[in-house]
Amino acid sequence: MRKKALVVDDNGNNLLLEKDLLEVAGFEVFEAESANEGITIAGREKPDVIIMDVRLPDMRGTEAARILRQDKETRDIPIVFVTASVMAGGREEIEAIPNSGFIGKPINTRTFAKEVSQFIK
Amino acid sequence: MLKKRTVTKSQEYAESIINTVREPLIVLDRDLRVLTASRSFYEFFKVKPKDTVGQLIYDLGNKQWDIPKLRELLETILAKKATFDDYEVEHDFLGIGRRTMLLNARRIPNPPQKLKVILLAIEDITKRKKMEESYLGLAAIVNTSLDGIIGKTLHGDIVSWNKGAEKIYGYTEKEIQGKNISLLAPPGYKKEILNQLKKLQAGESIKNHETKRVRKDGVVIDVSLTLSSIEDKSGNICGVSAIMHDITEQKKAKQVLIVSEYSESIINTVREPLIVLDQDLRVVTVSRSFYDFFKVNPEETVGQLIYDLGNKQWDIPKLRELLEDILPKKVSFDNYEVEHNFSTIGRRIMLLNARQIKRVWGKERIILLAIEDITERREIEIGLEKTRKELEVIKQSADEVSEFAESVINTVREPLISLDQDLRVVSVSRSFYDFFKVNPEETVGQLIYDLGNKQWDIPKLRELLEDILPKKVSFDNYEVEHNFSTIGRRIMLLNARQIKRVWGKERIILLAIEDITERREIENGLEKAHEELTELADELKRVARAKSEFLANMSHELRTPLNSINGFSEVLYDETFGPLNEKQKKYVNNVLASGKHLLLLINQILDMAKVEAGRMKLALSNLPMKSLLNDISLLLADMVSKKKVEMLLEIAEDLPNIEADELRLKEIIYNLLSNAVKFTPEGGKIGIRAKKADPEIEIVVWDTGVGIAPENMEKIFEGFFRVDTPYSRVTEGTGLGLPLSKKLVELHGGKLSVESDGLNKGTSVRFTLPIVSREVL
Repeated sequence: MRKKALVVDDNGNNLLLEKDLLEVAGFEVFEAESANEGITIAGREKPDVIIMDVRLPDMRGTEAARILRQDKETRDIPIVFVTASVMAGGREEIEAIPNSGFIGKPINTRTFAKEVSQFIK
Repeated sequence: MLKKRTVTKSQEYAESIINTVREPLIVLDRDLRVLTASRSFYEFFKVKPKDTVGQLIYDLGNKQWDIPKLRELLETILAKKATFDDYEVEHDFLGIGRRTMLLNARRIPNPPQKLKVILLAIEDITKRKKMEESYLGLAAIVNTSLDGIIGKTLHGDIVSWNKGAEKIYGYTEKEIQGKNISLLAPPGYKKEILNQLKKLQAGESIKNHETKRVRKDGVVIDVSLTLSSIEDKSGNICGVSAIMHDITEQKKAKQVLIVSEYSESIINTVREPLIVLDQDLRVVTVSRSFYDFFKVNPEETVGQLIYDLGNKQWDIPKLRELLEDILPKKVSFDNYEVEHNFSTIGRRIMLLNARQIKRVWGKERIILLAIEDITERREIEIGLEKTRKELEVIKQSADEVSEFAESVINTVREPLISLDQDLRVVSVSRSFYDFFKVNPEETVGQLIYDLGNKQWDIPKLRELLEDILPKKVSFDNYEVEHNFSTIGRRIMLLNARQIKRVWGKERIILLAIEDITERREIENGLEKAHEELTELADELKRVARAKSEFLANMSHELRTPLNSINGFSEVLYDETFGPLNEKQKKYVNNVLASGKHLLLLINQILDMAKVEAGRMKLALSNLPMKSLLNDISLLLADMVSKKKVEMLLEIAEDLPNIEADELRLKEIIYNLLSNAVKFTPEGGKIGIRAKKADPEIEIVVWDTGVGIAPENMEKIFEGFFRVDTPYSRVTEGTGLGLPLSKKLVELHGGKLSVESDGLNKGTSVRFTLPIVSREVL
């Protein structure tokens, strides 16, 4: 059975690139352009992993992650943050979320799917 | 006729009586005019008959007879009584002085003529009265006299014996009356009494004869006798009077009597203690003040040897010297100073003045010793001297101080002015003249307000000098702004001091004038600058914050498109979704390389910004340096072999592990090594030397490359500087590698320096890192 991955990013190019890379790697990919949409899809599809941008138009990715962690259905889904932020504060914000990981932008297209796969138990 | 004759006869008789009586007698008619007066009247009152007869009695001798008591007698008493005796009248007569007269008046009952005749006998009792009085006095003296007064017969039988005699001999008058005077003779003196009686019988008298007599109680006493014979009415010697006194006591202190008569009054009136000594240095008498002063009483003083006085406290060597050595040679000696500790009155300094006096009535010498207590005076003198010396010192130091003060005044840069209490200028400092452009002639002695064309008449100065200073001794930093005609508008700070002069009551006001005009301007400027600086600093902080926010945003915003550029070009290059022709593949690779270069630039710019903003945080851990250096060299091995340069690693065996941020340290070494590769031509050499230099490690990354021209040595750290070499054009680089490495080394607490012998002479980058990080996390 194919693994389900949810990609949440308001940037269409990023969304497309990540979706392509994951699909090439054999994932069934769901897309969301906002945090709320991502939370909705996550609840419905229960993906094996969520790839989330930190900066989202409606809320921060970490805020969306906390909401997901409060829902029984989504609490255990690993979340991989993809961010261009290299500021220390940004990383601490991410490390506070249990069962989460971090991939810096720009992504390495040759290793991206593999990195994501490592977060799935 | 007969009747007439009788009258005449009786008149004659009366007149003869009148003329024979010794008493002055005067006959008045009923009009009180003088009919006749006795010769004695004329004699007594020294008047003449022609001035007397026929005159009103009251008019006699220039009306000196107009005596109220006489008028009373003649007009009042005689009108009632025919006779009046012993009418005493005391009156001051012109010719004969004050007289007491006894008037006996007779009104003749059957006057020879129809005239009323008054016979007035005048008895002058002035002499008698005096005698009576002196007799009464004498009797009293005899009775009260302490001297014995004895009356005795020529044979020595005692007739009278007064109280004084009783006191001397102990016998009462009753006991001794009728007894013989020889009763009073002590053994061996009876003959003397007989001799005396013989002398007296011969009419001689004996004065002040000193002899001995025996008292009733058997005690022999010294007496002084004055004996004289008593004559009866007929002039025959009928008895002897003896006046005597006991001189036993007096003899003991004979001199006391004599001297006391002589000088006691003097002695007792002088205030200084005075002591009179006889030639044996025994006290004859002392003044009252002596007793007061030395707190002794007469009993323990008179008759004593001076040295024995008051428990021998007078036995003073210096006094002995004066009395025994000096005085026998000199008659007087003045101001002989003796200091002695008296038991009664404590330590005293005395000035002794001594006089030797030959007694007027004897051969004995007496010494008069005046004692002047100068203890207090000396204390005062010493005090005065001390005070004078102190004053001298004070004066001297005052002079010094004033000299000092003057020199201070003239050396201080601030204008200084001293005023007297009337606010007149006493002196000013040189700087005052310089500053206010005035000269001494128009300054000293002037009222301060009048100085320099009254330009000093400043309300605030008046306030300071007239209102504030009288209440306070000093006043600091009194700011006065004034437009001076000579020097323009000035802001001055006045410091005032009131000084009381040591030598007088005068006050002096010292006024220091500090021109703070420039200072105030500078202060104002500074304040403004400070405000601007604060604003600037705030602005800078805001800018720095904005910059770092901007950088954070920028890196995010730049990376996002780069993510797409690099990502898609990479996917294309990898031909994930189908093959590319050669040209396509080459182009997409160029896009990817440029994207990666851009990403490196962005990363390094961001790191620089973070370091500069102090926001670069190091993640320290214990790093195994030896393996870390080997790993990095392996990372570059590909690049080194491509460039055909040789890489040498010289890592010391004892190179320790260090505390550092692994990623950053790798970045540093990678940057430096890649620079070495980039700037070293083919066939060149690069290398790493690492060693321990406790407490640090030292790493040198060297090459044999293009080197650095001395003029570029500083530019290489400025950023974006890339040495223009034939290689640089073909070499990718940001120009940020070296500056960023330096900053990261410094962030770790180490140092980084670059050495090069010049262009094409190779380059060595030497840096140190502490073994134990000084960074506290």
